[in-house]
Amino acid sequence: MNFVTGKHLSRRAMLRGAGVAVALPFLDAMHPAFAGRVKTVHRVAVVYVPNGIIMNQWTPAETGKDYAFTRILKPLEPFRDDVTIITGLANNAASKAQGGGHAKASGSFLSSVPPKYTAGADVHAGTTFDQVAAKTWASETRVASLQLGCEDARMVGNCDTGSSCAYTNSLSWKDPDSPLAVDVNPRSVFERLFGNVDPSLSPEVRARRALYRRNMLDLTRDSAKKLELDLGPADRRKMDEYLTSVHEVEQRMTAVERDTRPPSIDKPAGIPFVFTEYVKLMFDLQAIAFQSDLTRVSTMMIGREGSVRTYPEIDVPDPHHPLTHHRGHPDFIEKVTKINCLHAQLFARFVEKLKSMPEGDGTVLDHSALLYGAALSDGNAHSNVNLPLILAGQLGGADRIGGKHIKLEQSTPVANLFVSMLDGAGIPVEHFGDSTGPLDLRG
Amino acid sequence: MSSRLVPVTIAILALAASCPAQESSAQESATLSFVQKNCVACHSSSVSSGGVDFTSAKQPDTFVQNREVWERALAKLKAGEMPPPGVPKPPAADTAAVTKWLDAEFTRQDAAIRADTGRVAARRLNKAEYNNTIRDLLGVNIEPADGFPQDQAAYGFDNVSDALNLSSVLLEKYADAAERSVRTAIFGPDKLKSAATHYSFPVRLNDTRGKAPKLPDLHGYDTTGLSSRHAAHVMHRFPVEGTYSFRIVANGHRPDRSMPVHIGFWIDGKLTQQFEIDATDLEGQNREVRAQVTAGEHLLSVSYLNEYSGLPPSYGGPDPSTRPPTPTLSSPHGKLTPEDIEILRKLGTTVKTDSIETRIDNRFESIDVGGPFEQVTGPSLASQKFVYTCGHTDGKHNASCPRIIVSNFAQRAFRRPLAAKEADPYLSLYTLARKHGDSFDEGIAAALEGVLVSPNFLYRIERDQPVDAKATTVPVSDYELASRLSYFLWSSMPDAELLRAASEHKLREPAVLEAQVHRMLSDDKAQALVDNFAGQWLQFRNVDVVRPDNGKFPDFDDSLRHSMRRETELFIGSIVKNDSSVLDILSANYTFLDERLARYYGIPGVTGPEFRRVDMSATQRGGGVLAQAGILTISSYSTRTSPVLRGKWILENLLNAPPPPPPPSVPALDDTKVGESASLRQQMEAHRASAVCASCHSKMDPLGFGLENLNAIGQWRDMDGKFPVDASGSLPGGRKFTGPKELKALMLQDRDAFVAGLTEKMMIYALGRGLERFDRPTLKTIESEVAARDYRFSALVMGIVTSLPFEMKRPQDTKALSASASIDHNPEGNSK
Repeated sequence: MNFVTGKHLSRRAMLRGAGVAVALPFLDAMHPAFAGRVKTVHRVAVVYVPNGIIMNQWTPAETGKDYAFTRILKPLEPFRDDVTIITGLANNAASKAQGGGHAKASGSFLSSVPPKYTAGADVHAGTTFDQVAAKTWASETRVASLQLGCEDARMVGNCDTGSSCAYTNSLSWKDPDSPLAVDVNPRSVFERLFGNVDPSLSPEVRARRALYRRNMLDLTRDSAKKLELDLGPADRRKMDEYLTSVHEVEQRMTAVERDTRPPSIDKPAGIPFVFTEYVKLMFDLQAIAFQSDLTRVSTMMIGREGSVRTYPEIDVPDPHHPLTHHRGHPDFIEKVTKINCLHAQLFARFVEKLKSMPEGDGTVLDHSALLYGAALSDGNAHSNVNLPLILAGQLGGADRIGGKHIKLEQSTPVANLFVSMLDGAGIPVEHFGDSTGPLDLRG
Repeated sequence: MSSRLVPVTIAILALAASCPAQESSAQESATLSFVQKNCVACHSSSVSSGGVDFTSAKQPDTFVQNREVWERALAKLKAGEMPPPGVPKPPAADTAAVTKWLDAEFTRQDAAIRADTGRVAARRLNKAEYNNTIRDLLGVNIEPADGFPQDQAAYGFDNVSDALNLSSVLLEKYADAAERSVRTAIFGPDKLKSAATHYSFPVRLNDTRGKAPKLPDLHGYDTTGLSSRHAAHVMHRFPVEGTYSFRIVANGHRPDRSMPVHIGFWIDGKLTQQFEIDATDLEGQNREVRAQVTAGEHLLSVSYLNEYSGLPPSYGGPDPSTRPPTPTLSSPHGKLTPEDIEILRKLGTTVKTDSIETRIDNRFESIDVGGPFEQVTGPSLASQKFVYTCGHTDGKHNASCPRIIVSNFAQRAFRRPLAAKEADPYLSLYTLARKHGDSFDEGIAAALEGVLVSPNFLYRIERDQPVDAKATTVPVSDYELASRLSYFLWSSMPDAELLRAASEHKLREPAVLEAQVHRMLSDDKAQALVDNFAGQWLQFRNVDVVRPDNGKFPDFDDSLRHSMRRETELFIGSIVKNDSSVLDILSANYTFLDERLARYYGIPGVTGPEFRRVDMSATQRGGGVLAQAGILTISSYSTRTSPVLRGKWILENLLNAPPPPPPPSVPALDDTKVGESASLRQQMEAHRASAVCASCHSKMDPLGFGLENLNAIGQWRDMDGKFPVDASGSLPGGRKFTGPKELKALMLQDRDAFVAGLTEKMMIYALGRGLERFDRPTLKTIESEVAARDYRFSALVMGIVTSLPFEMKRPQDTKALSASASIDHNPEGNSK
């Protein structure tokens, strides 16, 4: 697919002329123009499945190259060379924490910080590694990061006895006190990426409305600042949050104004009724967001941790979570395995989609690090060691990875993988969470 | 479970020094020796069962310092749980003396607690509050917050201040919602393009193929057809008010000679359209009807009306068909040959060469919803009145109108009078728009949108006044009290009458306050208490999302779900509106049913889809929330009941005694054996086998067993698979019961625990913060007021509204604040 059209070139040149650096998809023809400032964009994504995995159907028997794909991972076989299976990582933070087994697992997974045991409003964990990337690139993309989910969090009541629902409903934490809510509605995700502007309005009207909105935000910022002077510490924190949000919205507006490309997908009407269609749509939105560089960071929870979704379409009418407490019962194990297979199949579609999008000298998949798996291995015992994790795509360094099953030393901190993912994406961190160093996935 | 060390002092002299009353110290030492004699054997430093140790470290004031542990001990003694079965019990008189003294000691401590109101940070409007406020502010019902991300909950409620964060995603949605709401109010709803949605209905039939049809009761059935297996239901969201089309496609068969079928199309349980189809093979038969529908989610149902009327006389049903039999296929020359049949067909005669049609499996294939057509456009009169407060709804404005409109709007939106020049910035948005050539209305729209994005609107901010440094509590302002009241009882902004009472500084007068509370509880807006408070407290919001297994429970559909939810909503709503006793929630002799639910419960004599109050005293299940199918369904798994889940639900939500989390690696129940080789109950006996498990399960399981006659979707059953249901049990302490009614009677005996739990929950909801130790005196006072006033609902509300933390707040020294912003003026850790 050739990106180079007269339209693209002239607009890009215009932007250069205006002295503005904007990240656009890496255009072949533009490479020489940007000599000296060549930067390959690299994406970081996490696709999460809840309640653990039936490990003996997941872990390949052989290590290294030429391993046989297991039942659950079979859908990824066509992408053998793009996939690295990692065995031996552990989430030690969860083992140290107090509280419900599910809350501890998902609440600490991407941060390696044990979450505070509370059902109240004082939830506290750690900044997750994806948000480190998001903050680094926030000024370069329209949206700093996406947090998606495929399970309605409308269930009320305790999510995991004694532990706040915040730990199981969110994967990404902006800072230790701020879990980021997931968006479960594709229409809403679309609006986040492309704005909610009525396409029937003329550009002139749209510009005027944007101007008014900017003014509105300015003056409300002033009133928040004035309010702060008179308020107590707790209220001031609320106003700070408000001011930060105003700032971020203004940044987004600026980014949207600069890039007026129309979206390449129709606006979804809502949540598709059929589960597989729903998940596919959410993956499509992520793929488009990556391809158009609207964002480079996303985390998606195919189910919230402790998920009770039923899968009648694959003959599993029972809710997911109770099934995973199988006590060795073969019928339960079989049903959970079927769910695990379905999820892997859906993820494989995502991998396929990214592989089908050419970019630079490769594909979008080559410039993405997608982590797929769970924060629990054996859901029956709420085990936090030997986590089921695979990496699709590339880390971003000079060496290519893929095509191997890598077995690491037992209880290697999962944070080591996050260090490698951040390093490869061009964000060299010495250390993250309880990491002991980067991973060598060349095998 | 916490393992706290409980020290005991032995020196009586030390006790005498710390407790002035000689008699009290004698009782205290009697308590301590009681503990030494009866408890320390299992609860010492070497053997600390349950993590409780009564011996280590010598510390005075143990009853203050280790209050939580002593409270647990008291609860166990009162319930008869300690000493555990098998251990010799101390004399009843001794135990009574100890519990009496501990109670008195705790009351003494509570009385001495320094009055503290706690402090709540600014409360951001949550989704429900935002929708309601927009409705009351602008008169538009577009429910803009439905697209917002989920509010974070704490302590079981989504209106707790500290959990309500703001992200840039949400702020942008607030801005979009403000734009849509204001534009809808001024210009009318968006003109939408017509769209179509297709719903296929699952085929649950084909049960008659190859078999003689099993005939249903042809006379005593639901003539609306709504509870029949042949009906179909679906929830659909209508984006805007207008006319919509509904193409209904039928399928299935009617016996040969039947009269035409009558099909009814229902919206939210009300018959909207009906039509007739004259055919015995219904495949492909379709009709389109149109109806005016308001915006929002509505339940669409299609059913066969009087479906067993008009059948051939041989069926013996009501109103038999008067149609003559079809001519038989013969001629004077004998049976017709295939060639004859071909010729007949070519001539247009329908010839059925297999047996005459006898099936009654009429059903529905699908429904297509199209629209909106003839959409309601243009602003509503109500909205115009709310916006154009200058009085010129005809559009003939003068130069002073913008300021009047914007100031009045901001005042109502901020729920207080404006400061000097506070409206100016918003007015400047109007001026900006006019400068760019926009119309008067566009300018007003810009200004009002600005108001709705202000933190003064989005947050309920309580301002501090400079105070006397010695004051420990200060009253919230009258306007702030008005907001607290309206968001508590209506989840919305104060109305004109409340604001007037606030402006006249009359709201705090007891008579005025009480009158306002009663007025608010009788208002339709008090439905918010049902939806938001009760919906979260009793978790019946979950009725919308549970998915009972279709294989085990094929009769569960969206219509039943809808009725279940209505039952609980109307029940709680009636307690609020009629100021009934809150104890009805536990056990009442009435409920609210439509025909669908009445048939479901097996209660005769209730016809029609309207809900009405029904006496349940003669039924086996009785009344109260534990008899309601919605509650019973949300406290079960999708494939079976769970006495543990139900027991836990009762302990947490009704008895104020939440059990601690289970230990890890607990094996799960073997589902397939349930009902087959062992009843559910027998399987759960394993819980009693281990003492560790029994400590919690002896409390939870019996409560659930008491409800075992009610299956996972709330229907009565006497058999669980192959086994008769055994709904007997005993509470720790020995009280026995059989079945739900006796269980509820026992729970009524423990009414104080129920009232305490309800009071706590409603207090959290009203204040928007978790509760602390210093709230205890307040809670105790409210509980006794409620008991003294026959447990009426308004007594509970009044108790909360007139309490210290509701009417007052902690002062903040504003001068010290500006000087040093890093000092935390809340050493007790804020309101967390």
